Amino acid sequence: MTSTLVLGMGNPILSDDGVGLYVAERLQAGPMPDGVEIQQSEVAGLRLLELVKGYDKVVIVDALRSGREPGDIVRYEAREFKGGHRYGSAHSIGLHTALELGRQLGMPMPEDVTVFAVEAEDIETFGEEFSPPVAAAAERVIDLVRAEVDAG
Amino acid sequence: MKKISVDPITRLEGHGKIEIFVNDAGEVANVYFQIPELRGFERFCVGRPVEELARITPRICGVCPEAHHMAASKAIDAVFGVEVAPAGLRLRELLYNAFFVTDHTTHFYILAGPDFVIGPTADPAERNILGIVHKVGLETASALINLRAEAAELITMIGGKQIHPVCGLPGGVSAAVTKEQQERMVQITTGFVEFAKFSLQLFDDVVLGNNDYVELIKSDAFTHQTYYMGMVDENNKVNFYDGKIRVTGPDGKELVKFEGKDYLDVIAEHVEPYSYLVYPYLKKVGWKGFVDGNDSGVYRASPLSRLNASDGMATPQAQAEYERFYSTLGGKPVHATLATHWARLVELLYAAERAHELATHPDLTDPNVRNIPTGIVGEGVGVVEAPRGTLYHHYKTDDKGMVTNVNLIVGTTNNNAAISMSLKKAAEGLIKGGTEISEGTLNMIEMAFRAYDPCFGCATHTLPGDMPLEVVTKSEATGEIIASAKRNM
Repeated sequence: MTSTLVLGMGNPILSDDGVGLYVAERLQAGPMPDGVEIQQSEVAGLRLLELVKGYDKVVIVDALRSGREPGDIVRYEAREFKGGHRYGSAHSIGLHTALELGRQLGMPMPEDVTVFAVEAEDIETFGEEFSPPVAAAAERVIDLVRAEVDAG
Repeated sequence: MKKISVDPITRLEGHGKIEIFVNDAGEVANVYFQIPELRGFERFCVGRPVEELARITPRICGVCPEAHHMAASKAIDAVFGVEVAPAGLRLRELLYNAFFVTDHTTHFYILAGPDFVIGPTADPAERNILGIVHKVGLETASALINLRAEAAELITMIGGKQIHPVCGLPGGVSAAVTKEQQERMVQITTGFVEFAKFSLQLFDDVVLGNNDYVELIKSDAFTHQTYYMGMVDENNKVNFYDGKIRVTGPDGKELVKFEGKDYLDVIAEHVEPYSYLVYPYLKKVGWKGFVDGNDSGVYRASPLSRLNASDGMATPQAQAEYERFYSTLGGKPVHATLATHWARLVELLYAAERAHELATHPDLTDPNVRNIPTGIVGEGVGVVEAPRGTLYHHYKTDDKGMVTNVNLIVGTTNNNAAISMSLKKAAEGLIKGGTEISEGTLNMIEMAFRAYDPCFGCATHTLPGDMPLEVVTKSEATGEIIASAKRNM
């Protein structure tokens, strides 16, 4: 049986940046198919290696600023994913680089990494509330992630 | 006049930015270093129980949550006027030194290493961690990953949680460690010391063994004569967790040594209209602009600063490295910004040795890890050395311990003026009229600021705490992009 990790990422006190963490929390509260685990992470970089190793499939949910309309949801495969304010970094390393490093080190890295990015309206104000478009998008992402893991 | 922007590729709005203006003759006219503003941190904290700040403040930065947790815990001790139980103090300091081991190694291998191990002007596609793995071998990379995992294991044993520790409570920590945990900690910290020594050897072989690099480090383009700030123990040896803060001058003489709670008597803040981030300076000397020398209040707070501001390291092997550092670089103080990388490794060895000392302490498992507070003072300052500079947390509360006021000075903010100066000087030294500005040139300018291990997330009170970069050369007249080079790490 394949094993899947759903990873919600973000910062819980920076408004819309908390959306990935919230989605993970909501998914945790509901039923999930066998072999699917859910985790939250507030940091990325090398730490991603330790989190994703051993899984066949990883689904990441995070906030993003890319100039789209707030609340827009974009699905990426890891190999095409260059953006995300947390993945490319001067102090850590990008998602793509982390996965490649893991493979070179002989760690069991997931073949299939999918990212659901939610376009954020505000990730510069300290707060625990989402903007209305992101609050609505959170519900849609929950369904999208469920469909993604149900599909295997 | 031409403008060169060093823009982050991150899609985060309100990003940090370096702008280099070049005049018609092709020479550097000015360099601006800007940081975005984040809103509402104080408002977010006011009205909450002050104990919560030890769990909230680590979340303002994804890079050094442990530093904020410790500074916050110390400020909260002071708010309640409670002395920390000796066993609690040991566990806090052990956790903190394990954090330094992780942070300093990560910086060296991932951020600084590519410039030296691969080369400052090498193809950026190679100049990253994968390039390092290629060059130094899989074994070293595996050792690095293993060290990080083991440091995380130790931090979790004390901190309760791996990324954002929750152990610090007023008067100590929340839980003692067991004999079995101590045995494991001794094992892990033994590995720390080995890895730190290995890293210094690698620096020796790759950097000090290459005359071009030594010349680059010593070159005027990467040198500033400033004041230096760092925390010291009662013997004026470097300490990351506790002590007085000492400031020494460009001439090496002590300017002031003060208690953390008196920081506002020593540090004042200059503002510039183009930057949201303030420029702290030494009150006693005064703000004279972005200049160095004895008469300028600009100071630096970094691994190099800590070595310069101290009389040595409190552990034997780090002390030997400290001596070698100064004898190799021509005596104390060292003003070469790029020597910060070496200083960081000397500190790495100290952190490893200190963690090992604490892990082997006969009373490490003492269950009396906390003194319960009995009163409230209502104001407290907590100071630690964060890997990237002295970190000040200052809280005020009402008589119920509810927060009324918060002020932070974070590591990178201390260095704001110095980073601006270093960028300008490096740009002036490397960009000459008539020569082509290559990606390699711009990377070398960035090296001036990478040496400080800057963390803008925390300087601006936000995540993500990183600044991926794209270098763009623009025509100022038309705004047209003439050339661009990405730093996609």
